[in-house]
Amino acid sequence: MLALDAASLLPLVVLLPFAAATAVVVLGPRVAHGAGWAVAAAALGSAAALVPAAHTPGADGFVVEWLPSLGIALAFRADGFGLLLAFLVAGMGALVALYALGYLAGAEDRARVRRFWAALATFMGAMLGIALADDLMLLFVCWEVTSVASFLLIGHRFEDEDAKAGALVSLQVTALGGLAMFTGFLLVARTTGTFVLSRIAADPAPLLASPLATPALLLILLGAFTKSAQVPFHFWLPRAMAAPTPVSAYLHAATMVKAGVFLLGRMHPVLGTAPLWAPILVAVGTASMLLGAWQAFREVDLKAILARTTASALGMLTLGYGLGGTDGDSLAVLSHALYKGALFFVAGIVEHHAHTRRLDRLGGLGRELPLAFAACAAAALSMAGVPPFLGFVAKEGFYATLFGSAYLEARPLLQGAVVLASLATSALTVAVAGKLTLGVFLGPRRDLHRAADRPRGVPLTPWPLVLAGGALALGLASGGHFTADVVAATASGHGDAAHVTLLPPAGAPLLASLLALGLGVALYAARRRVPDAPAVLPSADRAWERGIAAVAAAGEAYSRRWQNGSLRWYLSATLLTVPAFCLWTLGTTGLSWQDVGIDLAHVPWYGLAFCVLLAAATVATVRARTRLAAAIGMTTIGFLVSMLFVVYRSPDILLTQVLIETVSTIFVLLVLVHLPAFPKRDLPAFSRLVNAGIAAAFGLTITLLLLLAMTPGLREPDNIAVRPGGLLSQALAEGGGQNAVNVIIVDIRAADTNGEITVLVLVGLCIWGLLRARRSARTRRSEPA
Amino acid sequence: MTRQSPIVRVIARFAVPLSCLVAARIFLQGHDLPGGGFIAGVLLAAAGAMHMIAFGPERAARVAWWRVGVVGLLVSVLTGAVPVARGHAYMDNTILHVGSYHLPTATFFDLGVMLIVVGTLMTIFVELDRERR
Repeated sequence: MLALDAASLLPLVVLLPFAAATAVVVLGPRVAHGAGWAVAAAALGSAAALVPAAHTPGADGFVVEWLPSLGIALAFRADGFGLLLAFLVAGMGALVALYALGYLAGAEDRARVRRFWAALATFMGAMLGIALADDLMLLFVCWEVTSVASFLLIGHRFEDEDAKAGALVSLQVTALGGLAMFTGFLLVARTTGTFVLSRIAADPAPLLASPLATPALLLILLGAFTKSAQVPFHFWLPRAMAAPTPVSAYLHAATMVKAGVFLLGRMHPVLGTAPLWAPILVAVGTASMLLGAWQAFREVDLKAILARTTASALGMLTLGYGLGGTDGDSLAVLSHALYKGALFFVAGIVEHHAHTRRLDRLGGLGRELPLAFAACAAAALSMAGVPPFLGFVAKEGFYATLFGSAYLEARPLLQGAVVLASLATSALTVAVAGKLTLGVFLGPRRDLHRAADRPRGVPLTPWPLVLAGGALALGLASGGHFTADVVAATASGHGDAAHVTLLPPAGAPLLASLLALGLGVALYAARRRVPDAPAVLPSADRAWERGIAAVAAAGEAYSRRWQNGSLRWYLSATLLTVPAFCLWTLGTTGLSWQDVGIDLAHVPWYGLAFCVLLAAATVATVRARTRLAAAIGMTTIGFLVSMLFVVYRSPDILLTQVLIETVSTIFVLLVLVHLPAFPKRDLPAFSRLVNAGIAAAFGLTITLLLLLAMTPGLREPDNIAVRPGGLLSQALAEGGGQNAVNVIIVDIRAADTNGEITVLVLVGLCIWGLLRARRSARTRRSEPA
Repeated sequence: MTRQSPIVRVIARFAVPLSCLVAARIFLQGHDLPGGGFIAGVLLAAAGAMHMIAFGPERAARVAWWRVGVVGLLVSVLTGAVPVARGHAYMDNTILHVGSYHLPTATFFDLGVMLIVVGTLMTIFVELDRERR
């Protein structure tokens, strides 16, 4: 019973933040800053609703059918790893909401504040969905929602060009990765026959045996790497720092960018044994952690430094997954979220206080912001991997994975490179930690604005202290078995095997940690003398922008060529495409014009007379000298055709044809005055020849098609309409109507008709909107005159 | 469209209501005989066009025809959604029995189709006519 309750609370966990977002939007301008309390409450509520699931490990999932015909369900499941991320999202969400209440307290634009809270809550719900989803499509949808929410939040100050560009780049990169991941998921589902993650992980053999395994792996990795800002997609994360600091702390440090490595953890049981898994992850992870740490070391903007170290830390996680280190992954995720969240919070406090984020303008703030200094120091020590902070324990775990990896064991050269890169990364991280803390809070006080705005609303300082305190407490607790138990319960692999201890035995991991610390301190001391790395690699940022520009240029060239606004051109293209497809399809049926049998014997004399009239009207239409004459000719043809339905006694089509002819004649007459003069006579002979060719191709093909439609070859006995039990016989039985055509349209195939009438309404609305817009533009133009 | 000759106006005075009656008849018989919502809608639009030609477009232009189309879409979608609420598939139409009378729920769907056709066609007529001036 308890298990059932715990599982059925899971959708509630996800829905609460969405409900808060909806409430914020619906309540409208009445709420602004108050919305923050609602979001914080929703986060706490979600965290509380997670507790029962945490107490019943291995609880069954919660499944509601979503698209049963496609095998897609709203399936939630809470395993340890998912719960860890969910708790992080909800817990950090509450802290970030409280912090943002203070951070935004001075904001005047109420509409914008409201949008901020709505987007933040939406993000929280979607991120919880990612953590708890047991269905690949649900995971994908939540994934995309977080991308969009991130876009909105980065663009919070949208009058700022950097914010706008940063938001756009992050959306482009993560949405592209999301689409790749979606395709990968489809391949996985195609080979395994299910979208349910736990079922795929239980038996990945059909996927691994399939030739689709490699494309699926590559596509899913693309999704993970873009989201987690891994090389070569690392450039979007620093640009996302234009977001308000609470957003950076929440989305771009603690949670959203973790979605990528979370996906790696989720996919490790499925694809971890694929031959490409380890090489790609080791290469990308190593490159990301080293590049990120180096760029952080050279960077001067406080938040950009934090962003680069985030990419670096995520690279370390990626490398860990490449080496199969799923046992201690939760430790690294937790440790990073705690210290990086705290550091971002401190960065926000510093920015509010000093009105700058540039390290070269900051210094000596320790006396004014003692609590922030303490939090920053604790978090930086954790980041540097100094005992007894959690960061040290996590780094030990990482080195244990590194040295215990059978994959590297077999490749000594690669092992050497990876170990060196890891040492360099750790040392650079230590130096960066020093730069952050000492550079901001110690030293001479630089020329700052005197702090003008007194902090209002909720104070900012407690929240980084909470996080940094958590990093210290969990670090100390790993002296006992508490932290080890947490890691064991939440690792995506076998957490029991994880290397979680405050007092590691003497060995390679401990040696590496100490070596990195020493090197880092030396690097910090010599930081001004370290030369710049030569720019050997092209800037990924610029390459991406060039790529996007190329896509836009190609689109424009395409539009200029094919969508050139000439109705004649569109018509020619349509009239040539239709016969091409028709003839191609006819070719596959094996029918030819020789199968056509024209039987004139059963046509009554007046039917033939109508045909003669039709031919005459057609000739007259083609030879008409004015548009009006041509229009009248077309109408004549239409009514003559409807006369043929009299001959063949099909009153319903007759009725339709007559009325449609009437209405379209009215249309033509209404439009006629807007059309340019009839230029047919002035066309050069060649153009007229081409036009005649197009017309002949279309006309002859349609004629052939209609004639063939009457041959036995196309009138298959199992036609969907006429076969026994087909649509025609269903009409009376199920629809209760004698008029089979109408019953099929409005009853048996009503869903199809529903689509068609929706299009009809849209067309009407488009015409209405287009003509109105054109008219109002015209009146605007004429007014100033 | 300028005001037409008295002959056209007199004819239209009878023809427009008559067309509407015929449209109603066509709509109602659609289940068993030639007709249905689509064709009734087209006939109504033709009647509307005749009205515009005979009596000028001003009165017809007073109606927000696009709303008629949207209402029609709502009617047909709701018809489809009712079975969903009762646990059946979308658009799973049934036949209501009222005494000895049987009324297929598809009729409501068809009513939506008719409103959409009238609304869309009349929107286009009215807007195109405005363009001429």
